[in-house]
This record gives sequence, structure tokens and C-alpha cells, in this order.
Amino acid sequence: MKYIGLILLAWLGINQAGQGIYVCKNAAVSLYSKAPIEDIDAHSDKGTSVLNTTTGDVAFAVPIRSFKFEKSLMREHFNENYLESDKYPQASFKGKLNTIPDVSKDGTYPVTATGLFEVHGVKQNRTIPGKIMVSKGAVSLTSEFMVACKDHKVEIPKLVFHNIAETIRINVSAAYAPYK
Amino acid sequence: MKKPLMLMAMLLSAAVAAAQTTRKDTTGKSSTDSLMNALTAPEKGEPVIATFKATRLIFTQTTETVKKKELNFMVIHRFGDIAGSAGGGKTFFGLDNSSDIYIGFEYGLTDNLNIGLGRSKFEQMIDLQLKYYLLHQTTDNSMPVAVSVIGKTGFKPYHVNTNIFDNTLNRFSYFTQAIIARKFSSALSVEVAPSYVANNIEYPFLVGNEKRYFAISAAGRLKFSKRMGIVLDYFHPFSSYRDNSVNPKYYDGLGVGLEIETGGHVFTINFSNAQAISEINYLNNTTSSWGKGQFRLGFTISRIFDFNKKHQSSY
Repeated sequence: MKYIGLILLAWLGINQAGQGIYVCKNAAVSLYSKAPIEDIDAHSDKGTSVLNTTTGDVAFAVPIRSFKFEKSLMREHFNENYLESDKYPQASFKGKLNTIPDVSKDGTYPVTATGLFEVHGVKQNRTIPGKIMVSKGAVSLTSEFMVACKDHKVEIPKLVFHNIAETIRINVSAAYAPYK
Repeated sequence: MKKPLMLMAMLLSAAVAAAQTTRKDTTGKSSTDSLMNALTAPEKGEPVIATFKATRLIFTQTTETVKKKELNFMVIHRFGDIAGSAGGGKTFFGLDNSSDIYIGFEYGLTDNLNIGLGRSKFEQMIDLQLKYYLLHQTTDNSMPVAVSVIGKTGFKPYHVNTNIFDNTLNRFSYFTQAIIARKFSSALSVEVAPSYVANNIEYPFLVGNEKRYFAISAAGRLKFSKRMGIVLDYFHPFSSYRDNSVNPKYYDGLGVGLEIETGGHVFTINFSNAQAISEINYLNNTTSSWGKGQFRLGFTISRIFDFNKKHQSSY
């Protein structure tokens, strides 16, 4: 009887670990704007992500309010004037990996994911490059890409045109934990 | 009896796990969605930011404070009467005159505690104030309003015609106010501010005047675009002397304005009947009336400088 119980337990364990689903609750997301008058960068560590290495699904989300800026006024303007975080509280990406790497082996795998990228309530179909890294079984993902303000109806008034870049560089990095 | 029970429990849990597996495998997409939803479950209430764009509306201060190591520089101006006996074409509708000019600084000792210093043309008053952002409104409404408190001392450094200022202590006035504000939406913010004025000597020094009295202010801002809004501001001193006095006659203050934010600067262009800018002055001494054409153009310019070492502005 004991053995049956143990076998059942083991089976249960295998099932749960074998999902190929990875989650991350504290993904780092940063944005960088380079303009003639000033450089602006902001960071958030409140990003969330799900990676499914069986189906290739990959999803990211970050609350707009969680971005921290050097100057508090920048944060206020970012939320109030540019991204309107009251109306559009988060930026997200939901897509599928075009090639699914074998995460059972250590290594660095360049990947691309195609899906919907949503910022400021505007959805864009995009293919975003990134890297999946596996080290001693731990899966992580990084990505760097550019976002044009006008693609997402983020208007920059002429008066501050030299303060804010037209395209913003976004860096994302997530260290995943297997989903249990 | 125990063992079969345990076995049954295990079987059951295994079956549940198996069921979950199938669901996840067949509908991988939606499970990613539901997982994301679970991960991004709305957090608990966060403080509401930017209830107002600046620390001042027209008369009344807002709940906003400048953040730590930031300096707010303000130039506030009130022109002369647009109409009435002192206005009209001969003074270019009041633009030739200035009823009050206020130059002020506010500095963030912490994110919530500000020290402010300012100088008025009106009575040449110098005022020093402390402002503390006591309660922040939260996004989940566990705290439905924002509350800031102000303590202010005004000092009139120069003699007046009468000898009431011979005793230096008589030149001091005190003002304390609690500002209660709510941001109803990104467009509409409203505040109510009860206050208390204490002059060391009745001011104006006239028969029947009170040294101390309560007052109330109410103000609001309605944005019609991301950067522009209409501001309305009102105050009333609870002073029976001011209610009943005939000469001079006192009036409540009423101001209407346009607020424009340009990223770093906040401008307010307004029309108001009160001549003075500092609370102590306008609550003590508003004797001009909209009805008699004694209203004026005014503006407020507010500019934030950041003194945090790490990121000096590159201007």
C-alpha cells in the first residue's frame, strides 16, 4: 500500500514539473529615451511574465505606474500626460515564440516572438527579438527593442520635442521559476 | 481503515492533477492568459498622484508638495482693476497697475514636508510656511481624500502710517489651514480648505474687527485636455466684522482661471476680485468686488528645479 502511495505521489510530482510553464513576478523592465536636451531612463521591477516552452506562448505585462524615474516630475508627466495610466494601466506583450528552444539543455538561445504589443491602449502586431538563457536548469529571458511614440499615439508636444526621443528603447529581463 | 482512505485521497488528488494537465495541454493559450491575469492581479491601493499640477490654484494652495530636494519657484502677479473707477482705458484695463506681486520659493525637505518663503508687494509682507502632506488618497479608495496641512507666519517689516506697528509683535500674523482634496478622475480634482487666521493686532486696525477668525476656501480644477484645465477658486472669512462692515465693505474672493502645463512649468492665467496673493492678506483685506468692476487679470508661473545630485538637469 505504501508503495502505491509513493508511486502516485511521484507521478503527481512529475506531472506538475513537466508542464513547461515558467512564471516570473519581478521581471525588470526599463525604458530609455535619448534626446538632445536630456536623457531619460526609468525602471520597473514589477513586470510579470509567463513562458510556456511546450506551446511557445510568451506573455509580458508591466504596470505603467510602477516605473521609477530620476525626477518625480517625469514620473508624473509619464503617467498623466503621455501614457495616461489611469485609462491604460499596463503595457503588455502576448505572443508566441517562432522557434522553441530546448530548455532542458544549458545554453543561450536567440529567439523571436510574434504577437500583440500593447501600450497606451494601442495594439501593434510585432515580432520582437530576445534571448532565452538556460543555466543549470534556470530559465531566463532578455529582450531589447524600440518603440516609436507615434505608433502608440503618445503625443509629444513641440515644446518638449527636444526633451523626449521619438523612439524609446525598452529592455526586458525575466528570471523564471517553474510554475507549480 | 486509514490506509484505504489515504489511498483514495491520493488517487483523487492525482486525478485532479491529471485533469489540470489535460486542460493546460489542450488550451495552452487561455491558460497563459489566466496565469498572466493571476500574476497581474491588481495590487492594493497605491497613492493617487498628481491631484493637482502645481502647489497653487488661484488663491488657495493645493495638497501637492514638491518632492525631496526639489525647489519650486513661483512668480504670482495681480494687475489692477480691469473696470470700475480705477480701471478702463486710462490704466490699460489694469495692466498699468499691480495690486500684488508675490515671489516665492518652496523646497522639499522630504517628499511630504515643504518649507516655503515668499514676499508680497501687498503690505510688503514676508511669509514663511511649513506644509505637510498628511494623507494620500489611494487608488482603492481605502483613503478617499488627500489631506495637507499648512502653518504660516506673516511678517510686515515696514511701518504703516499709524503707529500700530511700533510694537514689532503687532506685525505678525499667523495662518493655518487643512486642505482636503479628492481627485475624482484624471480631469476633475476638487478641494475644500478650512483655515484659521490670527493677527497679533486687528488688521485692518478698525473698530470692531476681530483679531482671529475662521475661513473656508473651496477650489477645483477641470481639465479639458491633457495639459489645460479650468480652475475655480473661492474663499469666505467667517468674520462678523467683515460681514457687517459698510465702509470699507468686504467681499468674498472668487477667481476663475486657465491652467496650462508645459512640462516643468505650470502657468495659471486668471481673473479674480481679491487684490492680494498671500492668504493672510486676502482673507484680512478683500475690499474689491466683481460687481463694481474691481476684478483683475492675474497669473501664476511655477517652475520646478531638481536638486537631486544624481541627476542634475542638463539645462
